[in-house]
Amino acid sequence: MISLASRDILHGWGKFVFTGIGLGLLIGVTLVMAGVYRGMVDDGKALLDNSGADLWVVQRDTLGPYAESSSVHDDTYRGLLGLRGVERAANITYLTMQVRKGTQDVRAMVVGITAGQPGQVPGWPPYLVAGRQITRGHYEAVADIATGFRIGDRLSIRRNQYTVVGLTRRMVSSSGDPMVFIPLKDAQEAQFLKDNDAIWQSRRRTEANPALNRPGVPGLLDAVLASQSTNPYVNAVLVTLEPGYAPDEVADSIRRWQRLTVYTRAQMEDILVGKLIATSARQIGMFLVILAVVSAAIVAFIIYTLTMDKIREIAVLKLIGTRNRTIAGMILQQAVALGLIGFVVGKIAATFSAPFFPKYVLLVPADTIAGFAAVMIICVLASLVSIRLALRVDPAEAIGG
Amino acid sequence: MRALKLQGRTVAMIAIIVPLVLVFAYVAMRSGPLAPVKVTVVRAQEGTVSPALFGIGTVEARHTHRIGPTLAGRVKRVDVHVGDRVRAGQLIGEMDAVDLSDRVRAQEATLKRAQAGIREAEARQAFAQAQARRYDKLSALQATSEELAITRRQEREIAEAGLIAAREALAGAQSERAALVAQLDNLKLVAPVDGVVTLREAEPGTTVVAGQAVVELIDPASLWINLRLDQVNAGGLASDLSADIVLRSRSAETLPGRVLRVEPKADAVTEELLAKVVFEHPPEPIPPIGELAEVTVALPLVQAAVVIPNAALRREAGEVGVWQVKEGRLQFAPLKLGATDLDGRVQVREGLTEGDEIVLYSERALSRDSRIDVVPSLPGAER
Amino acid sequence: MSIHAGRGIRIEGLVKRYGHGDTAVDALKGVNMHVAPGEVVGLIGPSGSGKSTLLKCLGAVIDPTAGRMTLGDESIFDNGWKVRDLRALRRDKIGFVFQAPYLIPFLNVTDNVALLPMLAGIPNAAARAQALALLTALDIQHRAEAMPSQLSGGEQQRVAIARGLVNRPPVILADEPTAPLDSARAMAVVRILNDMASQFQTAIIVVTHDEKIIPTFKRIYHIRDGVTHEEAGEGRSLSA
Repeated sequence: MISLASRDILHGWGKFVFTGIGLGLLIGVTLVMAGVYRGMVDDGKALLDNSGADLWVVQRDTLGPYAESSSVHDDTYRGLLGLRGVERAANITYLTMQVRKGTQDVRAMVVGITAGQPGQVPGWPPYLVAGRQITRGHYEAVADIATGFRIGDRLSIRRNQYTVVGLTRRMVSSSGDPMVFIPLKDAQEAQFLKDNDAIWQSRRRTEANPALNRPGVPGLLDAVLASQSTNPYVNAVLVTLEPGYAPDEVADSIRRWQRLTVYTRAQMEDILVGKLIATSARQIGMFLVILAVVSAAIVAFIIYTLTMDKIREIAVLKLIGTRNRTIAGMILQQAVALGLIGFVVGKIAATFSAPFFPKYVLLVPADTIAGFAAVMIICVLASLVSIRLALRVDPAEAIGG
Repeated sequence: MRALKLQGRTVAMIAIIVPLVLVFAYVAMRSGPLAPVKVTVVRAQEGTVSPALFGIGTVEARHTHRIGPTLAGRVKRVDVHVGDRVRAGQLIGEMDAVDLSDRVRAQEATLKRAQAGIREAEARQAFAQAQARRYDKLSALQATSEELAITRRQEREIAEAGLIAAREALAGAQSERAALVAQLDNLKLVAPVDGVVTLREAEPGTTVVAGQAVVELIDPASLWINLRLDQVNAGGLASDLSADIVLRSRSAETLPGRVLRVEPKADAVTEELLAKVVFEHPPEPIPPIGELAEVTVALPLVQAAVVIPNAALRREAGEVGVWQVKEGRLQFAPLKLGATDLDGRVQVREGLTEGDEIVLYSERALSRDSRIDVVPSLPGAER
Repeated sequence: MSIHAGRGIRIEGLVKRYGHGDTAVDALKGVNMHVAPGEVVGLIGPSGSGKSTLLKCLGAVIDPTAGRMTLGDESIFDNGWKVRDLRALRRDKIGFVFQAPYLIPFLNVTDNVALLPMLAGIPNAAARAQALALLTALDIQHRAEAMPSQLSGGEQQRVAIARGLVNRPPVILADEPTAPLDSARAMAVVRILNDMASQFQTAIIVVTHDEKIIPTFKRIYHIRDGVTHEEAGEGRSLSA
């Protein structure tokens, strides 16, 4: 028996292939959509992985430092280092802001990392793609490659100029903003320091306050002003554990003795994935459903049209004794073939277009397989209408009058 | 015949389907988690590390002279302005005397009165002495009674005491006047050293309390930089190391300097070591006090060591090390590290030998089972 | 006219009623026909005479209301179908040739013809050989690899006839097979039908109102108001 479906496809292959490519682009968009969701989840996980921490110590009763703002004193870590099971503890600050380079600016998350050696302090970029790690305690930066910065570029963060000495990759905030790592001291200043006008105004306000500017007490005003321009806070303390200690136990002891809120890796992931991107995830879910429905409608419509074009031939086939199974098989095979072409085109389109999206698009093999199954199911379901139509064709129609 | 007839269509189909399938296979293999990780490698090399410390500080003056009155008072005049150079002993301002001159004049009147008192006491004493002498002679001749002679002697002693009192009153009046005159002199504000005026805090007519400065002077030759260094990055800091100073406002210019001393007290709050760095030659013009300066302190060279870039350092299972490439497979080598320099070179004390191939940059985090693809440079990172 | 029982196709008292009750219309009111193997008979009648209805009943695509049909030795209808699989009946026992050839556009000439044996389960190669033999008999083997759209009307009709014949059915129903053709090609088709009828001992019923070919039938059934009347045709020679 020859394959009627393949003969039909070969006969009108141009139309079929172009329809398949069109469908493929739609499937590509769907895969990218799923990839965007995976990318968001991965952004969150990358953020946690790259911080290299086992525990996040944050301000009491906050979901910080990523989902809410948090500030703890920058000497808190000394107390943490004294606890059993704590191997290393390092301050870290996060500040999402526009980082300027010349006239352009890039949205980035500025991360203040504790001074030290690479590999010794949590929070440092774990790997680079170019340049070197920060060696000076001030005015050097390691930027994510997604910022578009190059080694040697001069960045402005608040009032200071930073030289980009290294580039890294996939260092992003949970919302996908690329990171710029700078020394902690600078970051604390950047987070706290206002623009110069604001500082002047604040000084003038202090000077106008008779309680702080007393004529009989020389030096009081200077002391007050100095105390106003220091920032002894950081956003979180990253803690790594000595081998053999369970994160939950150490977290409990920190909660109990330091009166701070602590999150373990699992809890942090839950916050990032479960809370931070929950709405976006639902949004993308809606889009996926809509795209699936649209794809199904398009496949159904195309197969329906192809079947309608062949209604006379189907009548003849039935008249000369073709079994229903054969006819249904022909339509089903065409739908599946269309789905296959669409899927292959879609996968290729998604893979090649993914790097061009401004946000990270992660194409997971599991999604691809699920997508393939969905496409096949959609194609089979979409062909049912046409199969039903074809089976209802009266062979008598082939005989005139 | 049949083959030929079909060929046109079949060729067209093959022309579309085959590349599509090939691209699909490529896509499935080369992207996503199955794809190998692109890395660049570098060899550990024998080299020198020129360690240095980097910190920031502010320009400060070693000696700041805050010149003001010793008593509360009103400023009469200030002769210098900010930026003026003054010499030691130069009069730079004066406090208003208010009633001080009047009090001096009153004191002078008192003085004169005391002098008049002396003259009166002297007259009395001379007369009493003459009388006493005469009665002594008469008493010796028995020409008068002993009684009278004793009285005259007593009168002479009283007159002498009166003279001493009058002289002391004069000395008191003279000292008091001298004190007032000294106070008058103290109202003059005089530069104690050669220097530059940095602040003029009170204008004529302003009332200032004792101890409050009217004018602040610094000695430009005594400028130094109060350097702050992260404690973790301050190993090897010592006096007499040479330092390069870059002032914020003159970032193109590197000024030579020297570490004068490392402060015995560190800043516990900011976790910084403090040090003072002096200029080899006083910079001209004088940098403003409080200007930020970036200071690089050179440490002695570390000779002939195995050196790797710090970008290669990773942390794996609690140990710092590098990924070593051996026959195309990855192996983590824990390291003991030595000196580092500001260009990112790290001395390896233990763990690598010269010529070992290590991963420098990678596209993703690596693990023991990562498949790697060694490339000359990573995409997007080339300049 | 001698009628051999058990050969060819025989129809007795065939009735087809559309609708029910008062609105019922009898399209066929007791049709009697018999076509012997190797015989080509004409079936003619004006529009609305019941011609198409009769053809559909014979083709087993609509159900007659009453009567009897016998194909060869087998009673296929006796006030109800006697065979379960009408599709197999159509495929194996009845050949169709239509007014328009209705070839499958995406199959070439050979496969169009070979499709029927393939559907009946004959291996592809054997089915194609069978088709090619028939195409050779119809003198169109040189277009065996062509697609239907590349053929002329006469060629298409010959392929359609080949398809009607390929399963060696005892009966072929031809519905206006010459309508789109000019007189020479129409005569050629009729000649082919006659040749095939005699060669394969097939009973052929040609529904037509083509004046050019009516004189060629030896026997003609006129159908009028749902009733057939048999008459002798002119039986004009086809060799002319």
